[in-house]
Amino acid sequence: VSATGERRPGATVRRRFAIGYNDRSAAILVFPVLAVLLVVAAYPILYSFWVSLHDIVLTRPLRRPFVGIGNYLRIFEDERFWLAVSRTTFYTVVTVTATTTLAIFIALLLNDAFPGQRLLSVLLLVPWATPSVVNGLMWKWIYDPTYGLLNGLLLQLGLIERYRAWLGDPDLTLLLIANAAVWKQMPLAALLLIVTMKAIPDDLYRAAKVDGANVFQRFVHVTLPALRPGLMLVLVYETMISIRHFDLFLIMTQGGPGDASFTLSWLIYVETFRSLRFGTGAAMSYVLAMATFLLSWAVIRWLGKRI
Amino acid sequence: MARRPVAPRLGRAFLLAFFSVLFVLYVAGPVAWLVSSSLQTEAEITAVPPNWLPPELTFANFDAILNAAERQVTYETRRQGDPATGGFLPSGAANLIPSLWNSLTVGLWVAALNLLLSITAAYAIAVIDFRGRRATLYTVLATRVVPDIALIVPLFLVVRNLGLINTLGALVVTYLAITVPFTIFILISYFESIPRDLYRAARIDGCGHWGALQHVYLPLSLPALVASLTFAFLTSWNEFVFALVLTQNVAAQTLPIVISGFVMDFTTSFSFVNAAGVIAIIPPVLMAVLFQRYIVSGLTAGAVKG
Repeated sequence: VSATGERRPGATVRRRFAIGYNDRSAAILVFPVLAVLLVVAAYPILYSFWVSLHDIVLTRPLRRPFVGIGNYLRIFEDERFWLAVSRTTFYTVVTVTATTTLAIFIALLLNDAFPGQRLLSVLLLVPWATPSVVNGLMWKWIYDPTYGLLNGLLLQLGLIERYRAWLGDPDLTLLLIANAAVWKQMPLAALLLIVTMKAIPDDLYRAAKVDGANVFQRFVHVTLPALRPGLMLVLVYETMISIRHFDLFLIMTQGGPGDASFTLSWLIYVETFRSLRFGTGAAMSYVLAMATFLLSWAVIRWLGKRI
Repeated sequence: MARRPVAPRLGRAFLLAFFSVLFVLYVAGPVAWLVSSSLQTEAEITAVPPNWLPPELTFANFDAILNAAERQVTYETRRQGDPATGGFLPSGAANLIPSLWNSLTVGLWVAALNLLLSITAAYAIAVIDFRGRRATLYTVLATRVVPDIALIVPLFLVVRNLGLINTLGALVVTYLAITVPFTIFILISYFESIPRDLYRAARIDGCGHWGALQHVYLPLSLPALVASLTFAFLTSWNEFVFALVLTQNVAAQTLPIVISGFVMDFTTSFSFVNAAGVIAIIPPVLMAVLFQRYIVSGLTAGAVKG
């Protein structure tokens, strides 16, 4: 107190801690959002983390002991968890690869100026705007074992001899659900890539042509590297969406047939709302959240170096 | 520039036409089939091989949905099947139109509130240099890392404790948690693409932050604002899991909930379900098509700076 007490309660101290106009304005402007997110996002997130550390089973509501990381250890020993991990991995890899590949082709097509290009660009938004429940019922109806269009089409083309239960085939279920998901997710990915492509200077293509590069070489050596930021965003976003996707699994197969579409999000749903084991359900959600986070980070690192 | 030889040009035109047709088939085909089958009777829709186009246009399915409230769906009438469509009307048929209004109400509220909340926060983060700026941004974005399924139980408890179960208000507030972080991200990118000099000029002219936002940033951000509105409405219209847990009956159930009930009821007439699907697709598709230009420039500007 002796040395600092001598100092006038002024200049430096006040300047460092003073709340200026900027800070005051920002606080007022940011406060409403933070207040809303605190109630509907931050609190539930922290609460479900608390739940994941307790052995909470709704059929035994009065005893909810603290088990620390017990729930996490338990799910790692759970066979269903590893089954769900493998199903989710397969589904995510298929969906993300297919969405990205398709989006690149569509972006190449729509980045070109030709009559009708406007119309196609508008049409591209239709799957994006389709609610996922309708998307699910639409594809379920197309795959229908007795009246579906897929059966009718393949039979009329002579590719199958009799109608098949497409979604009922364990080898095909995940691929067919992925197809419905890709249909809805592809437009946004394509849009992001088109915007990135528009930013590529024409000079690069001209220079490549002068050097004698053909269409394919120009794509690999000019377009693809320049597409990196867009591709990164698409890969991260699609991975995050796919790894936790739920709606289509509930509408189309409910984890079946057998355990063919038993993904992580479906396991969490079953664990929480059918078995009423909230503790392990919450722990699984946190594992999924961590996986999403690490994967996004890995994709960013990998693409950052690769291209 | 020398004219390009004819053969490659023809080849290019052929390739473009070919891929355009493929594109249209892939993107519009499934929806076209949904619409086509909603305009057929149950007998026509269950024909083998399928009728690609309605042999005879019928609006009986839409009629059944619009007038469902006047028809009593009982065990007996269900067993007989719907005389108009020849199929079975689900017992929840009368809930479809009320749920459409619920979806519309929630969607418009979410779109409006989402924009109001996000604009101010995005302006602060993008433009003002304040303490805790990065921390605020990361906090907002981090709320989207945890999967929605993890949040259902705690959200249900919060909403129940507030006495808001089965209300539209609970859905609006919940959906804001989904839309606000993404909207803030989009608006920040857009605000940052606006030249800083305009901001300085406004400040020199005596504008405060509120004035700069009002006179500089808002007028220049129309595409991003329209894109945000559309995005929020579509997200709200699309949302399924939260509505499933937070609503219980026709007072607050949204369209996806009522329709998913039809889909999982195995006795429901296919033509009826398809007509319900068509009704649910119309508002969001109209909105997306109407605002297409704004969506493309607004959602993607600055998003891929690299």
